[in-house]
Amino acid sequence: MATTAAAPPYVATREASNTGLWSWITTVDHKRIGALYLVTALIFFLIGGIEAEIIRLQLMQPNGTVVSAYTYNELFTMHGTTMIFLAVMPLSAAFFNFLVPLQIGARDVAFPRLNAFSYWVFLFGGLFINASWLLHAAPDGGWFGYAPLTTMQFNPGLNIDFWVLGIQILGVSSLAAAFNFITTIINMRAPGMQLMRMPMFTWMAFIVQFLLILAFPVITIALVFLQFDRFFGTQFYELAAGADPLLWQHLFWIFGHPEVYILILPAFGLVSEVLPTFSGKPLFGYPVMVYSGMLIAFLGFGVWAHHMFAVGMGPIADSVFGVTTLLIGIPTGVKIFNWIFTMWGGNVRFTVAAKFAIALIALFTIGGISGVMHASPPADLQQTDSYFVVAHFHYVLFGGSMMGIFAGIYYYYPKITGRLMSEKLGNWHFWLTFIGMNLTFFPMHFSGLAGMPRRIYRYDAGQGFTTYNEISSWGAYILAVATLFFVWNFVRSRKRGAVAGHNPWNAPSLEWSIPSPPPDYNYAVIPTVSSRYPLWDHKGAVVEFHEGEPIKTARELGIPMPFPTIKPLFTALFMTLMFTGLLFIHKNNWPMAYTFMFGGAAGMVASLYSWLLSPLE
Amino acid sequence: MANPAAAIEHHGHTPTTTGLDHRKVAIWAFIGSECMLFASLISTYLIYKGRSVTGPFPHEVCSPPVCDHVMKPILNIPVTSVSTFVLLMSSLAMVLALAAVENADKPKHSLSEKILGSSKLWLFMTALLGTTFLGFQAFEFTSFVHEGLTIRTNLFGSSFFTLTGFHGAHVTAGVLWLVTLLAIDIRRGLKPKDAVIVDIAALYWHFVDVVWIAIFTLVYLIH
Amino acid sequence: MAPQSRLRRRSLAALTAVLAVLLAACAPAHPNSIFHSHTDFNREVDHLWTLLIGLGSVVFVFVETLLLITLIKFRKREGQPAPAQTHGNTRMEIAWTAIPALILAVIAVPTVRTIFRTEAPAAADALQVTVIGHQWWWEFQYPQYGITTANELYLPIGRTVNFTLKTADVIHSFWVPELGGKRDLVSNHTNYLWFTPDSVGDDVFNGFCAEYCGMSHANMRFKVFTVKPGEFADWAKHEAEPAAALDTAAKPAAPAGKPAMPAVQVAQAAPSTESFVSFPRKDIPAYAVPQTPLPAGLTFDRSLVGDPVAGAKLVQQPTTMCMACHAIKGNPMMQGVLGPNLTHVASRTTIAGGLYPNDKEHLELWIKNARVMKPGVLMYTLGAGEIDPATGKPTEMGKLTDQQIADIVAYLQTLK
Repeated sequence: MATTAAAPPYVATREASNTGLWSWITTVDHKRIGALYLVTALIFFLIGGIEAEIIRLQLMQPNGTVVSAYTYNELFTMHGTTMIFLAVMPLSAAFFNFLVPLQIGARDVAFPRLNAFSYWVFLFGGLFINASWLLHAAPDGGWFGYAPLTTMQFNPGLNIDFWVLGIQILGVSSLAAAFNFITTIINMRAPGMQLMRMPMFTWMAFIVQFLLILAFPVITIALVFLQFDRFFGTQFYELAAGADPLLWQHLFWIFGHPEVYILILPAFGLVSEVLPTFSGKPLFGYPVMVYSGMLIAFLGFGVWAHHMFAVGMGPIADSVFGVTTLLIGIPTGVKIFNWIFTMWGGNVRFTVAAKFAIALIALFTIGGISGVMHASPPADLQQTDSYFVVAHFHYVLFGGSMMGIFAGIYYYYPKITGRLMSEKLGNWHFWLTFIGMNLTFFPMHFSGLAGMPRRIYRYDAGQGFTTYNEISSWGAYILAVATLFFVWNFVRSRKRGAVAGHNPWNAPSLEWSIPSPPPDYNYAVIPTVSSRYPLWDHKGAVVEFHEGEPIKTARELGIPMPFPTIKPLFTALFMTLMFTGLLFIHKNNWPMAYTFMFGGAAGMVASLYSWLLSPLE
Repeated sequence: MANPAAAIEHHGHTPTTTGLDHRKVAIWAFIGSECMLFASLISTYLIYKGRSVTGPFPHEVCSPPVCDHVMKPILNIPVTSVSTFVLLMSSLAMVLALAAVENADKPKHSLSEKILGSSKLWLFMTALLGTTFLGFQAFEFTSFVHEGLTIRTNLFGSSFFTLTGFHGAHVTAGVLWLVTLLAIDIRRGLKPKDAVIVDIAALYWHFVDVVWIAIFTLVYLIH
Repeated sequence: MAPQSRLRRRSLAALTAVLAVLLAACAPAHPNSIFHSHTDFNREVDHLWTLLIGLGSVVFVFVETLLLITLIKFRKREGQPAPAQTHGNTRMEIAWTAIPALILAVIAVPTVRTIFRTEAPAAADALQVTVIGHQWWWEFQYPQYGITTANELYLPIGRTVNFTLKTADVIHSFWVPELGGKRDLVSNHTNYLWFTPDSVGDDVFNGFCAEYCGMSHANMRFKVFTVKPGEFADWAKHEAEPAAALDTAAKPAAPAGKPAMPAVQVAQAAPSTESFVSFPRKDIPAYAVPQTPLPAGLTFDRSLVGDPVAGAKLVQQPTTMCMACHAIKGNPMMQGVLGPNLTHVASRTTIAGGLYPNDKEHLELWIKNARVMKPGVLMYTLGAGEIDPATGKPTEMGKLTDQQIADIVAYLQTLK
């Protein structure tokens, strides 16, 4: 059986070893790379969580003294940077990797080795940026890194160097992955898998890739300017040279607002998989869900300046960006109602996955409503840079993205590992998260309206902030306990969870027709699709796996598999070393700087050539 | 982009959803992304135009007290027009190189057919013209430095050198890519089945060329 | 699954109750609430808020109720038939596109109107105040009155004040929640913000820097005193002049042989006792008195009595470093512009960007080791033998003894 993919015909001369550390290091299998993304990103999620817990300890009482001003500024910068770039984005990437090929009926992504490269770059980028902690020089300019505060004049340490270079490295990872997934979704769909039959998660993933390839170059350039200013003495943000600090803000938010949708749309996609399954009913208004996703993404490029209402853009710009921002509320509202009406008339099964998905609806609604409040510029002037905004985006990012991702993890864990996560521990996790999250973030609306600015390492007593902060901190501790339940459930179920079977939830999409965990070739026979819900409609030519049936190897089936290779890892490693060289410039250690920069560049080019000139399979 | 050698060895046309090669889809996505990259660089240049507090300036004379001494407008439009023409010609050579690879199997009778059908010649010409363009850029950069404009001098210098430097880096990458293709061609000859790997290089090359047209117009021609 | 959904309802109810109690309990203790509208600006915004909160609550209640009803009504029960496989309903989907669009239009219209009203140019006769942000303190200039002061603003009730917002370094944001929305102080830009404190009596408001501006962003606060127009006129007149003369006659003359320093130049006019010089300390509410605890390990010999005359000489000696950054009107030696203007420092209620009360104890420690008192501060550690936290070594600057510091403080306290 020929693949539908453009994979050239090849002979299965070698078969990938499936066990051992080496097999993970050299893997090019999208499912294994997805698992690597998942575990790595969860570890970074825990690190970001610890940073948040220290922040809450510090703010639990007025004039807190748990950490110094310097450390606090490092903590909130790294909390934001970590959660956005090292937790939520790669958690979404974990699902892109694992799910997209399965959902469209493909055997892998278009460029398996590029996929491995993306993961290794992400890992090294994450390690690079966190290595700053070892020097007590973690980034401290905020995740938004506003110039001129981040220029050499105001921040001469290595802190911002780590941040600038780290984000650049992570950008390479996201861009490489996005080209890969765009190609995969456009070009590797199984016969009959028309665009409007694709599962909603794949649709949202597809839209997100376009946001990535269009938004990331902009931040890349903003960072290049900052990097050149810091290392080579250019003047892009040099006040004395007449620079305009708003240049950074515009470039940053032209990236930064689409980034918000990069963070939330994958979660929307996951929820759109979970809710139909547990309602026993197709997704309500599938086409509208697709179009609203596209509209959100499109409008997302036209609203960036709503992050800048306080910078004095003038009444016309404020009005335009205020109104376009209000417009985004419409497609978002449509999604909320469509999810509710997916459940309406169904038989809703309250599994942990379903609960997290429902929690997304309930909590994202709150974040959406406060979002509409920011869209009104005069009102926003009383909200921006206050804790009200912190409340808002945690309802969107924790209540939205993370709830959706947790729903996805509980839902897909059996497909990834072959075992179910414990529903009992999962319920503990869910309820503690739900309560802890509301207790943490709801009072922040009040502390913000009571006049508490963001990013302050301490506040005075008697300002009307204390009680809210105390509650927020208790909520955060509950969240910490909830996360322990999750970690325990996640680790324990790997070996001791109930055996899942290929379709434990009676789900309708293609990925549930094959064994759990899927064999490395995914589909023994490439399915032919003729509906959106092939396993419910029983239309098309989809071979559903029968439990107990023997699973043949790729060699037995004559399916050629790509060779495992370490070359993408080396390319990623050398690239990271090349960036590391720049750090030595500010230590005036030129021999080291040149060694790392030129050695890294040479190594990168050499491994890239070696990779490109060696056959895939 | 990803795997020229694999494609060289296997030219089976396993169907893709769109019928296009993966690499062709990917290069289009890549070009879309690059558009945003250059759009950011060009917008920055335009935003900072006229905001430099000291000379030299691109189109205006800078005289004391703004500058220590009188500085002539720095952009040399005649020279850059020549280098622009060179880059445009390289695109023509690229088109001929691709056509030559696509028709590599067709018998060639006359001398002109042999010349037009020589993929090695046209790949070489494209790379050579690209290198010539880079030579012009190197000349331009050095003469600017001698006239007192570096990447550190003023906002114009920073945004000009970064923008054109990024473009130059793209041309350099393109020349390396072309040389690699040329090496493959010399080693074992590029055949019509290899057309796609030349095709994606050509798409990239034309894109870089088009970006230069935009830069030349917006930076050099418009005052 | 029913018990879980009951549990869910119960927790939701509990949560709501907790929040309601909280709201009730904390309602009076909000000295910086954005809802206490004391200006035309805030009342404009308040109208929007009413609309936003009203509509937001309706949407919230509607969506969450619909969700709860759905969950209760359509939870899976044993023996239920398979649900109907509906795929959508165009009419309903049009409805929930159109209705939110309508709601948003209702928000958009007054929003745009308010934008144009609040961002219009200020009245021509407005009080002009130039605000210059510094890491991490506020410089306030009243160009119509020739006043430069720091961290404490006086505004006349009923008169529009137009702020011209600038920064000396990074981006800051000017925010007095009870008086108006924030506006950023952007490097190489000039911004404007105006409002009229028209529905207040003599009162004090806390202001904050709302844009992250580095290490001591949290310690960049200020105060706004709203006072009656007559009081403002008195204050402005007094503030525009140099501080009162030191009564040097009773003190022994300065030692001979040190003629380099010019005598302390002082103004002729002493303030009359009736005139309003500063907001009475006793009337300042608790929320406007900083309670920042002192950092551990900083000591000062409190038994020392400072000599203001000696202090006056010390501040203008280059070795004490004071003149490098600070200005005192009427003293030609004191022309520094990097730090707060000290002309009437004693009439201010706080020091260090609103971080500490302005009293003898805090001033002494501040001069001795400001960098321990406020992380990242530009002001040097000046006490002899003190460790400068920026370098980790004993300071090279000032090297003032406790007695010298006490003298300087005694002098500063005369600058009323």
